[in-house]
Amino acid sequence: MTKIQIPGPEVFDEMLHGDGARAHYQAYLDWLQKTPDASLEQKRLEADTLFRRFGITFNVYGEEEGTERLIPFDLIPRAIPHSEWVQLELGLRQRVTALNRFLHDIYHDQDILRAGIIPAEQVLTNQQFQVAMMGVDLPGETYAHITGVDLIRASDGEYYVLEDNLRTPSGVSYMLENRKMMMRLFPELFLAQSVAPVEHYPNLLLDTLQCASEADSPCVVVLTPGRYNSAFFEHAFLAQQMGVPLVEGADLFVRNSCVYMRTTTGPRQVHVIYRRIDDAFLDPLAFNPDSMLGVPGLLSAYRDGNVVLANALGTGVADDKSIYPYVPDMIRFYLDETPILNNVPTWLCRKEDDLAYVLENLQQLVVKEVHGAGGYGMLIGPKASRGEIEHFRQLLKQNPSNYIAQPTLCLSTCPTMVEEGIAPRHIDLRPFVLTGREIRMVPGGLTRVALREGSLVVNSSQGGGTKDTWVLEGAPC
Amino acid sequence: MKLSIDHVTSFSYDTEVTHSIQYLRLTPPELAGQKILHWQLEAPGSIHKTMDAYGNILHVCTVDQPHRGITIRASGTAEISDTEVPETHNRVPPDVFLRTTPLTEMSDAMREFARGFSPDTGNTAHTPGREQLIELMTALLTRIPYRPGITHVQSSATEAFSQGFGVCQDHSHIFIACCRWLGIPARYVSGYLHAGDDQHIASHAWVEAWVENAWYSFDVSNGLATNSHHLKLAHGVDYLDASPVRGVRWGGGKENMRAYALVDQVDRRQSAEQAQQQ
Repeated sequence: MTKIQIPGPEVFDEMLHGDGARAHYQAYLDWLQKTPDASLEQKRLEADTLFRRFGITFNVYGEEEGTERLIPFDLIPRAIPHSEWVQLELGLRQRVTALNRFLHDIYHDQDILRAGIIPAEQVLTNQQFQVAMMGVDLPGETYAHITGVDLIRASDGEYYVLEDNLRTPSGVSYMLENRKMMMRLFPELFLAQSVAPVEHYPNLLLDTLQCASEADSPCVVVLTPGRYNSAFFEHAFLAQQMGVPLVEGADLFVRNSCVYMRTTTGPRQVHVIYRRIDDAFLDPLAFNPDSMLGVPGLLSAYRDGNVVLANALGTGVADDKSIYPYVPDMIRFYLDETPILNNVPTWLCRKEDDLAYVLENLQQLVVKEVHGAGGYGMLIGPKASRGEIEHFRQLLKQNPSNYIAQPTLCLSTCPTMVEEGIAPRHIDLRPFVLTGREIRMVPGGLTRVALREGSLVVNSSQGGGTKDTWVLEGAPC
Repeated sequence: MKLSIDHVTSFSYDTEVTHSIQYLRLTPPELAGQKILHWQLEAPGSIHKTMDAYGNILHVCTVDQPHRGITIRASGTAEISDTEVPETHNRVPPDVFLRTTPLTEMSDAMREFARGFSPDTGNTAHTPGREQLIELMTALLTRIPYRPGITHVQSSATEAFSQGFGVCQDHSHIFIACCRWLGIPARYVSGYLHAGDDQHIASHAWVEAWVENAWYSFDVSNGLATNSHHLKLAHGVDYLDASPVRGVRWGGGKENMRAYALVDQVDRRQSAEQAQQQ
């Protein structure tokens, strides 16, 4: 039996509590303790070979050696009791509903700005706010068809929303592939326990995209920036799973305010574009004029209502880190409900008092760029060197409104296979929420794990790995 | 004043273009201060008329037959008011025009220049009025005199400011950047100017700033705080947003562009012709 390193009492471990397992993990831990080391190692090698063969890889920006890398997959699943998931799901529905209402509002009547809940200037001058969306009526008033909400569990055992990803959230392909791999390697575990299925995600996604259009039998495509994009594998994977064309900008063109795809049998009208290209690159005639990735004329067709973009243009303003602190207010304002999911307390460095506090407490805080993503451009105070802290102090003073700060939350851990055996590593959770006529999601999501000991950065671009995520039906809490 | 406009833009290409598409903002809107008597837009291929978020009239022109050139002609007559009638209606909130874009960023030198026009630098709630903006405009033209050929069409406000010379586009971008930095919404306007001397190349750009609850005009290159000689086509956050012609093509190699805009005063010419007949 592999030796399992017991986590310290200061962190919340998903599996272990004191000497034993939490109730929902008991059956798994019993199985793990009966499984010989060699057998686990054998499975690990098998998983590695299979992933390489199927080509689940990830491009890393700024790395010299090769552009493709395998995202490490960990064999030990992250399990969530069903009762806990039910609460999370309620919270996610509430949050995504409010975010879509917010987007519709700021591009129409701007009630929330008039009411003084969010300073108008902070929204209207936000770089992610798209003036071109003002007054555009979208089918179903849906802006974020696909949302990936990053959740963490802190030492107090509570879940917190770290960020809402409403632009082009990625990672769902790993969720699907991880499950397939686990079922292949350990079929007996799935017979013994009732793990909620996730395989139907591509069907739900296709249905969501088709319903987003008012056309009779809408033509859906996945628009990718191309094979050099870090998530190209996922774009190809989802198109293939949904059975829809994978296209690049050059495959599409606009005529008479409609979008067409070039095919061997002539032009075919496209009604829904699941776009994995950022706003700025979508239409060189309206945005970045140097973009070769988009479709010239797309904006005019979109504004005329002749094509649906998923997600809509301009959703980024709602997941901007400077707007994030206002999400609980949005829930109260639009839904008149109490927020179910916690927000992480956030200091906005654009505010003078907040900046003063942050500058004094840099050693305890996490500082992030307002528009940053992927774990780049951030400072983790407690882990940073004196030089790094001083560097950030200068950056903060030069351009305070570019930064926010949060307390360093200790992410929960989950036992993970590492070189020394099995040891606790920090994890997060990204459920994928689909908004169509109704809100739907598959139970769980993508669990990311920071493989380096003590590391809190789970991003795959920063050496993170992934785990299969189990929502255990009927498991006790 | 009644103006007649004839504006022709021609592109020719070294090799064949298979497909091209243009966003054209070449049709002036009806405004309190400008009445369009007649207007015509001629362009090849299929033309789709729509409106952008600011309310500008936008034509999308698509040519999907192989071609070696494109000619776009906008012409018509319009009556413009002798005194400024500033716009007060807003399709998007004025604060949108406080946004910074790559073409309208501030440099340290520009901040140094604009600082003197802030009535009270310590209090951001107090912004300059129209009079102060007129002073800013005058100072800017002195600091960055009009001279063509130094900057190019992609030059940003900071580039033009550091080069020390500019054309109407540069003047407008610098003025916009300064206004926004001073807390005043400002927008880029493209259109035509009647300069008095006939046969003048008169495709022009100026600025509208939101002061005293209205959009007042500031034509920096001509030092004019009025739009009494101007016919407006479109406005936006910067040149790229309000550009009369913006296009993309597939193929074609090197591009050669020629443009002219003739702006004549109709009533004056009519009276001159009448005088000759008599």
